[in-house]
Amino acid sequence: MKVEFINPFVNAALDVLKQEIAAEITRGKMSLEESSVITEDDITVMIGVTGQLSGVVMYSITERTAKNMVAKMLGQPVPVFDDMVESAIAELGNVISGLASAQLEINGYICEIVPPTVVVGRGTIISTVNIKKLVIPLETQYGNLRIAVGLKEKV
Amino acid sequence: MAKILVVDDAAFMRMRVVKLLAENGYEVIEAANGQDGVDKYKAEKPDLVLMDITMPIMDGISAVEEIKKIDSNANIVMVSALGQQTMILKSVKAGAKDFIVKPYQPEKVLAAVSRVIKEG
Repeated sequence: MKVEFINPFVNAALDVLKQEIAAEITRGKMSLEESSVITEDDITVMIGVTGQLSGVVMYSITERTAKNMVAKMLGQPVPVFDDMVESAIAELGNVISGLASAQLEINGYICEIVPPTVVVGRGTIISTVNIKKLVIPLETQYGNLRIAVGLKEKV
Repeated sequence: MAKILVVDDAAFMRMRVVKLLAENGYEVIEAANGQDGVDKYKAEKPDLVLMDITMPIMDGISAVEEIKKIDSNANIVMVSALGQQTMILKSVKAGAKDFIVKPYQPEKVLAAVSRVIKEG
């Protein structure tokens, strides 16, 4: 797992969050995470990556942050975490990952992403099977978004 | 008024685009994946299709190819997060007439829809 693999996802997240929700963002400290973890946030969007890099990217937020972000996107209050909010957050993960894959292509790694999977609820074990993940938290006025990237290069 | 078919697996995205188009006077129908999009194209014969790429069951590129078999003049605009050069080229080769990268700006979508319908 290389630092150069996570930067496109972080940069894409900065662009998308600024455009979609006018986010003011502070990057937190990068850390390394084991391949198998227990979810601590309410919502985790998982995007599979295939091609010259393979693995998974995960975006994690609390339910409150999800509702705050979607409320900003819709321009109206969002009192309940429902299917539409879930779809909106999944789509944010999809769009960030799509933009990141375009940057990875420029960097020489041709990859594809698969439709997002959403895990709702804390305490679920998610394993990237022997691929450690680089993690960066992004702090916004709506709450925090945690990006975890676990990718390996095709040999 | 022109009829637009919006094909995207994300319900939230469909809702946003449908709202944008409806507010600008278009009649809008929806499909949640590529196969649904092909079926709705056959049934509804829209003036234009807005097509996502990454979808379950049938992806957008395959759906474009299938729609082009039905109607070689079909007006299809890709709206996707996958903005890689390779993906844009695949889309154009399949028969798409324009490509908009997400996150999109509403005015760009409206301009593309208007232009592609006008040019036919």
